[in-house]
Amino acid sequence: MKSILVPLGLLMAGGAAAQHEHHAPAAAAAAAAQAARPAAPAWTQQPLLLPARAARGERAAATLRPLGLAAARVTVFAADGPAERLKVDYSVGPEGARIEPAAPKIGNYHWVVAREESGAGVRIASAAWYFGNPGASPRELLKAPKHELEIVPEPLPREHASYRESEKWRFLVRLNGQPLPGQPLTLETESGSRSTFVTDAAGFATVLFPRDFKPAAAGEDAGHGPRRAAFVLSTGKEADGRRYLTAFNHTYGQDGDRNRSLGWGAMFGLAGMAAAVPLLRRRNKGDNGHA
Amino acid sequence: MPKTLFPTLSRLRLAVQIAMLFVTVYGSVIVGNYMADKISSALPALSCAYDQMNGGYCMLVPTQHIIHHRIGEAVVRAQQITFQMVLPLLMTFVSFFAFFFVLGKTFCGWVCPLGTLQELIGKLGRRLGFGLRRFEEGDLGGVKRLRPVKWLILLGLVFVLPLLTGLGVTPHSLGNPFCDICPSRVATTLLTGNTEQLALRLGDNVSFGLGAIANLLVGFVLVGALAIRQPFCRICPLLAMNAVFQRLSPMRLKKKMHDNCGKCGICSEACPMDIPEIAKEEGRKAYHEDCTLCGRCAEYCPQDGTIQIKWGPFALFSSRREYYKRKVKGELPDGTVKPVKFVRNAARPAADSVDA
Repeated sequence: MKSILVPLGLLMAGGAAAQHEHHAPAAAAAAAAQAARPAAPAWTQQPLLLPARAARGERAAATLRPLGLAAARVTVFAADGPAERLKVDYSVGPEGARIEPAAPKIGNYHWVVAREESGAGVRIASAAWYFGNPGASPRELLKAPKHELEIVPEPLPREHASYRESEKWRFLVRLNGQPLPGQPLTLETESGSRSTFVTDAAGFATVLFPRDFKPAAAGEDAGHGPRRAAFVLSTGKEADGRRYLTAFNHTYGQDGDRNRSLGWGAMFGLAGMAAAVPLLRRRNKGDNGHA
Repeated sequence: MPKTLFPTLSRLRLAVQIAMLFVTVYGSVIVGNYMADKISSALPALSCAYDQMNGGYCMLVPTQHIIHHRIGEAVVRAQQITFQMVLPLLMTFVSFFAFFFVLGKTFCGWVCPLGTLQELIGKLGRRLGFGLRRFEEGDLGGVKRLRPVKWLILLGLVFVLPLLTGLGVTPHSLGNPFCDICPSRVATTLLTGNTEQLALRLGDNVSFGLGAIANLLVGFVLVGALAIRQPFCRICPLLAMNAVFQRLSPMRLKKKMHDNCGKCGICSEACPMDIPEIAKEEGRKAYHEDCTLCGRCAEYCPQDGTIQIKWGPFALFSSRREYYKRKVKGELPDGTVKPVKFVRNAARPAADSVDA
């Protein structure tokens, strides 16, 4: 047995060494690129565009910080506005890139991309940012290809809504504008969940958001609306001799049914009904003289 | 063809109401998912933004949000109240008025989903034989006592509390207090199969209390509408908002005095809002702040041309004696319908004649 294992081990070690030798420049490039990247948060190694906390009431701009990739700029795509503002590059400073809507009074969703190119391949972080003013629907913005490998929400949550625990949402994966069937798409959440979904024949993956929010700590401020956490979807593909890795990050909220009581709600509804019952007690006398 | 399908104004209104109920509650399947796809985010009807399938938003939603998040917060940041700051609120009112100018208060009587639901329940109540209760002396008391409530709700819950919340005076959970007590939020989301808005938020007494009021209201409205016509409309702040602008729309009710006015009172009896002024007054006083432009008073006025629904110089509908006679044969002014009669052997003579 041992006589078989030793040559096999040597063969494997040799193969690995040969492989290592063959990819040495790429590995060195990858290591160099990794060293230059701002560290990703602990819950994922995927590239992200995370917002800095905005000042209260600030809606005209946002600061997004590329993490897990070395990007000198972020690009913002708008659905509406002056032609020269439909695609704008912003340089990344120490705090991140301060992005603005296409025009001061044009809001709604904007698509944000950060990109890192190295000998190891292309890493792309993408996100959708909502500016709180009316603006064009993001349907056409989502339809238009913006980089090689893309994860496209179909649709984005509408205003006053969000991705939420236990919900299923569809995402289209496409390469150079063409849907990618059978492509794995991995979901990672800030709460520590990880799951993989595969796109169907039309390139769509139906992603189930895990029910993984931990109970709120005592005294934790619930804030406005349900609690939120970050998630990232990522996928990788070899094409045209390059390795592409694309991620889309956004937030998802706690299930709306958490911290809510349907029982109490129904009870008050029934109490309202009971309060109206005395109104029904007088029966119609029938003749009121107009027939 | 239209006359066959819609022999009366009421039938036409019912068809419009049902179509609008679909648009306001499920309209996203036609217009699209995003806010920019909606018909408007400032509709003069209670089309709820919490309903994930709606075709448009009620104007009270952006009004509360803008006052809370823009104006209140900007004042806190010690800025001057600038034109830019109030611009979003102005835009909301401009969008609202663009719709309101064309159709006026018909948004209440023909479009509002909660109005339609109450009216359908009322029709069921008449069918089931529940006696109609009216806001008049001798029954539920004069309607005038109820009228200030809608103004107080508009002022307090749509304007003052969101502003105080934006200023940081009142808690965050009072940021959109009208939406939190609005029965349309609960009713229309239930119509899409979503029970989330019926469930009460725990852990925050203010939110729990507001949600409890909404549920009490929706329960009361769903049962009360069997006996009282349009129970919530009477205290609806959107009716008050529409009343502010009602003289600025060419769509209006016009009434001239007839010798019988104030004597027969049929128009007032037909009015789902129990407005006595429609029988006693003329001109501006007859087109009252509570009027929803449903047109029932014009349908049930037995005098030619006394009550009209007009758009500018054009009379869209005029009261007519012949119309009244035909209308009252099918439905009494209070909404009571003639019971359906099954006539035994009604088909036999025709069959006999075929045999012959």
